Amino acid sequence: MSQAPLFSSAGELANLVVTSNLIDVAWANIPEIQRGQAAFPCSVQPMVYRPTPNRTILVFASSPNCTQYPLPEGGDLVQSSLFQFLCPKECPSVSINRASLDLFISLQSQLPGLKTELSEWEGQLIITGYSLGGSVAALFTFYLLDSMDKKSKCRPICITFGSPLIGDFGLQHSQWNSFFLHVVSNKDPVPGLFLPSGRSPPTSSHSQTSVYKPFGTYLLCSEHGCACFDDPDLILKFLTVASSEVAEGLQLVVDYGEILRNLKYRAICKGAQLASERFAYPFSDGIVMELKTIGIDPAEQKIDTKRMEAEARTLAKETKASEAKKLNDRKKAMAQLEWYKKKAEYEKKGYYDCFRNEENSRQRNVKLFMEELTAYWEEMVAEAERKPQKERTSFRTGWLFAGTTYRRMVEPLDIAEFYKDKDSGRDYINNKRSQHYKLLEQWYEEAAKPRTREDLDSKKKKVSVLLTEDSCFWAHVEEAILSCESLRNANSTTPEQRESSWNNLVRFGEYVMKQIDNCAVSPDIFWSGSSFMTWWGEYEAYIDNFRNFYSSRLVEYMKGGGYKQYG
Amino acid sequence: MEETVENLIIGLNDGVISPAASLAMEAHNSPSKLFLVKKIRHLSVVVLAFRGSMLPNDWFGQRGHSPFGETKIDTGKFPSVRSLNDGGDAVVNGSFLWRFNDVLDKLSHAKELKKAIEKKRQVVFAGYSSGGPIAILATLYFLENQTFSPRCLTFGSPLVGDRIFSHALRREGWSDYFTHFVMKYDIIPRIMLSPSSTEHEQILNYFKSKLDRKNINPAPPSGFYLTVMGNASSVASYEACHLMGCRNPSLDIIKSFIELSPYRPSGTYVFCTGNGNLVVVKNPNAVLQILIHCAELGESDAAEVEKRSLDEHSAYPNELKDSLGGMKAVVYLDVDPANDLGLSPQAMLCLQAAEEFENRRSRNLENIRTDRNYKEKIEDQLEKQRKYKENAQISRLGYYDSFKLQKEDADFHANVSRLELAEIWDEIKEMLKEFELPDDFEKKPEFIKLGTIYRRLVEPLDIANFYRHSKDKETGAYVISRGARPKRYRFIQCWLEHHEKKLFGSRSESLFWADVEQLGIDIEKKGYLQEIKDRIHQLERNLIACIGDRSLDDDVLLENSTFVKWWRALPLEYKSQSDRIDNLIREKAAGV
Repeated sequence: MSQAPLFSSAGELANLVVTSNLIDVAWANIPEIQRGQAAFPCSVQPMVYRPTPNRTILVFASSPNCTQYPLPEGGDLVQSSLFQFLCPKECPSVSINRASLDLFISLQSQLPGLKTELSEWEGQLIITGYSLGGSVAALFTFYLLDSMDKKSKCRPICITFGSPLIGDFGLQHSQWNSFFLHVVSNKDPVPGLFLPSGRSPPTSSHSQTSVYKPFGTYLLCSEHGCACFDDPDLILKFLTVASSEVAEGLQLVVDYGEILRNLKYRAICKGAQLASERFAYPFSDGIVMELKTIGIDPAEQKIDTKRMEAEARTLAKETKASEAKKLNDRKKAMAQLEWYKKKAEYEKKGYYDCFRNEENSRQRNVKLFMEELTAYWEEMVAEAERKPQKERTSFRTGWLFAGTTYRRMVEPLDIAEFYKDKDSGRDYINNKRSQHYKLLEQWYEEAAKPRTREDLDSKKKKVSVLLTEDSCFWAHVEEAILSCESLRNANSTTPEQRESSWNNLVRFGEYVMKQIDNCAVSPDIFWSGSSFMTWWGEYEAYIDNFRNFYSSRLVEYMKGGGYKQYG
Repeated sequence: MEETVENLIIGLNDGVISPAASLAMEAHNSPSKLFLVKKIRHLSVVVLAFRGSMLPNDWFGQRGHSPFGETKIDTGKFPSVRSLNDGGDAVVNGSFLWRFNDVLDKLSHAKELKKAIEKKRQVVFAGYSSGGPIAILATLYFLENQTFSPRCLTFGSPLVGDRIFSHALRREGWSDYFTHFVMKYDIIPRIMLSPSSTEHEQILNYFKSKLDRKNINPAPPSGFYLTVMGNASSVASYEACHLMGCRNPSLDIIKSFIELSPYRPSGTYVFCTGNGNLVVVKNPNAVLQILIHCAELGESDAAEVEKRSLDEHSAYPNELKDSLGGMKAVVYLDVDPANDLGLSPQAMLCLQAAEEFENRRSRNLENIRTDRNYKEKIEDQLEKQRKYKENAQISRLGYYDSFKLQKEDADFHANVSRLELAEIWDEIKEMLKEFELPDDFEKKPEFIKLGTIYRRLVEPLDIANFYRHSKDKETGAYVISRGARPKRYRFIQCWLEHHEKKLFGSRSESLFWADVEQLGIDIEKKGYLQEIKDRIHQLERNLIACIGDRSLDDDVLLENSTFVKWWRALPLEYKSQSDRIDNLIREKAAGV
């Protein structure tokens, strides 16, 4: 079957941006401020405007010197702890352009107050700037976004004009990138200044400058029209071409006001050629047209439209409907596991031990559902991990509840598999536990509210349907059984080993009692034949024989039959 | 393809368009009458043409609320003009709606109209310029009332309604009753895509002074074209982004900073190219793109186009006489670059995207019908549920209660089947919300029927699952709280209610169990209050009615069901239908 045609919307998105008055509003005050600034020294000043009751504009105005010669020697990248919060998982640090960072830091006395004021603002906020002013605007936008919480009614967007690239790979992965729109003309050498083939000043080292990366959406303009792209490779190529093609460009001041006026006019023009036939390959034909409009020759620049089309096709498959389907698939797998648990209970077997001792088709089926769920959750956790710190929190709260139920249902089965296999060795928690369980648990702990007495009371009433809260509970039980064994086999163990095993058992006793006090374990642990009761049998025999005088709260609880009233 | 335009308009007699255009112009020039009537005897047609107005207030009178003067449509008069899922009621221009209401009374009592209906003559509502919206709303009004099926012809009419308006017209199959003629550069059909502004007033004032004839040749305004078309172009680009499947995450952020016109074209459009050829377009997304792109500036200079955009608004009678008289007009149905509209390559891409979007919707429907994972799977699963229900009856408990207990293998399999069904219906629900299925999907009897069977059979299981896990403590009652009842059921219920022309919420028989459960919980919590008593009485009435029309299965009456046990335990003074329900229970017991 032939595939459905795809389209490139870069031209239409650009047209939307240009014909709406959004960027005109962002640009409106810049020329005037620019004129009013003293040429020296190189500095940036924040200025706030409120043209309509629900719209605030924050302009970072750079002095003319700063705009035209943006980097006497500030072209290198420096690591900055200030923007560490943007770091994705796979990248240890974020590096920022020195010139922009220095200007940002020079405003340290004003920024906190500005940030507090603006994060309380209820309405649209346009943060903007020209050249280095735009770079500082972008840094400030990150700084502001980091401090805003979900409830904030402030809706920011950052629009820069002809700003140089400000950072490396570390900046590229934030979900906040959708808040950035960078306007760049093909006549403007400044944005691509730090790129290797660009006109970098000789003082800056090339090894440093080659790692600059664009982030967010770029409105790329020429005198013939414009297009909006967020593909980093393509943007880099455009910037490189622009900065190398402009002869003696550093003296040239690009008038974005004039560019915008021209683009607005172009937006309602037909262009020189009329359509003569339908397009056979709308995506590649469209993108080639868009690239030519902004002055890029796709063949010469080796633009891989096939790759772009393949990426677009992958994205096109992720619809709301397919998301709904994934969610329901997960629910089905969970229903299967719940049913397995319930069946085990009807047979008076605990969920854990049933799975541990069984070897049949039912158990094999459960393994399939386990695998499906694990694959899903590993992906979700990895995705959350990739995001910068701040976003991680909001990204995951939505599904943390479901993730916790998953962890409590599935991890015990992983533990059972581990201890069933005699070759696995010992200590599941430290040797085998999957990272995604650790993170799910850690995030749950961070998000969990402190418990009240009423919570505990209502929990007591429904203990019979509870899942054991600590998903590693059974790993502790298995270790305790192994400790008992080591004590019993006095011949093959050293006194130190036995001492350590005994200490383990004492700690385990305290741990279990705490779980019981908090109603945090399922009553099925007390069913006869469960691993826990097996442990208790061995443990009781050991203390009866060898530690007759030892007692603990758990020993009393178990001997006194208190557990029979649990649940 | 060569055809007469009349042929393309369902049921319109040949030769009506040209006289209708002339009458519409005449009505526009007759300020003393709300509408003019003309009988075209030899065609057995009666045309009613409405007067327009060029007062800015009659276009953007509701400006205080929004620069586009929009308002929710009056669903009392137009019950179908809304979304059957989450989209809400359609939005229309408030001033046009107000002017229509002003005309409606006189129109309904017009003896010419009554006579035409009596004699089964074809009625055509026509309107030129702002008379167009009145003709559109009048046509819609009578289509809703089903008294007769008028046709609507407009000439240079401004846009009236939003996307939901257009969607509803297509869903109801009314789209073909509306035909709008638009000259290539006429500014008026585009004007509503731009917010009300001084440019608008200039344009309207110009036409008004032409109309008043006080000033034979008023000076045309200038400089408005760039503003109006720029704003209109924003709307077209925004829609094109969607048609083209734009996945740039900045789109949503950018959109939140921009105020776009809510208005969209609906019905069939006929574009007059100016050289006698006509282009007929039925896909509303394509219409919007053509509206903008064919009026773009070409080689000729902007001032000339601007002047044309005013002049062409008055050119309809002549243009149509040329196009329709004598030789048959060339009519293009497909998007064809040779159609004389002179479109740019970018416009061509937009039209191809609009066409592909429509194709995709049809493919999605076809897929649901024929792919084993959709309709066929729904039917298989429903069959399983039916068997489950039958078997549960034998145990004298009913499937609601045995499902709630989740004791047997069968209960578990029913649960998995419930989730399988939820998956498919949720997917369909999402597709509908995103307009990824044909507009008339929710009107198709096959899906209304399938959905209703599903809702009645399976929603009780969702309710059982909800109360089994005490989810009411987290989200609130199943029926009342928004997050609780799955939307798929609400939508499907809405389809049926709309189909049967019943009030919303009147077909909630599948919620019976939720009412029972919630009453039980509320009585435990609050005790017996008057409010509880009223709810019990309502429940009893619902039960009797639903058992009566078989929309609720009588296994709720089984001796051991939650309902019977609960109802029996109620104090007698709280029941109003004690004897009848007792009887029903006894009959059920005897019958099994």
